[in-house]
Amino acid sequence: MSAGTIAVEVLVWVAVATCLICCLGIVVMKDFFERLHYMAPVSTVATVALLAAVVIEQGWGQAAIKMSLIVVVLFLMNAVLAHATARAARVRELGHWQPALGEKIEGVDQIEGRRHHR
Amino acid sequence: MNVWLLGSAVLLFALVPCGIASFRGETMERLVGLEMAGMIVTLLLVMLAEGMGRVNFYDLALALALLAFGGGLVFARFLERWL
Repeated sequence: MSAGTIAVEVLVWVAVATCLICCLGIVVMKDFFERLHYMAPVSTVATVALLAAVVIEQGWGQAAIKMSLIVVVLFLMNAVLAHATARAARVRELGHWQPALGEKIEGVDQIEGRRHHR
Repeated sequence: MNVWLLGSAVLLFALVPCGIASFRGETMERLVGLEMAGMIVTLLLVMLAEGMGRVNFYDLALALALLAFGGGLVFARFLERWL
């Protein structure tokens, strides 16, 4: 067993373990906004680990280029999707995403008693 | 059988909690299950393509990554006000 094979095996199992743990996280966590956080490790740790494994196994060929495209898409996708989902949940809950009266959120100025229409 | 195919067999089990999250709970919590499943299946397709040595099938994973992204955004947008 060469060093490259061992490295590939370790990276693949790191990616699989990350996915399994994060999937358990979205079931175990109670609050919706906590669940959203568990999508991040999958789109960062697992994808980069698989990219490294593909590069070790096949070098910088067609597979590695396509895999890096997938990594970029998943990186950006998760950030935008998590934000859009969190915002949608807040709008669904409160009718607007800005802070409600009396709710303290740093860096976001409060609305002055105006309630947004649904 | 190589580590890629073995890993993808194990990764299949990660879809079980995604299914549970999608079939249970509030509407928005189901959407998180759907989005997570989209990412897991993308990685699954990558591992199968690599395990079987078919580089062309990486396009499937790339297409799914892009479509799952669009689908999730549309879902989030509709769940905001209309559904």
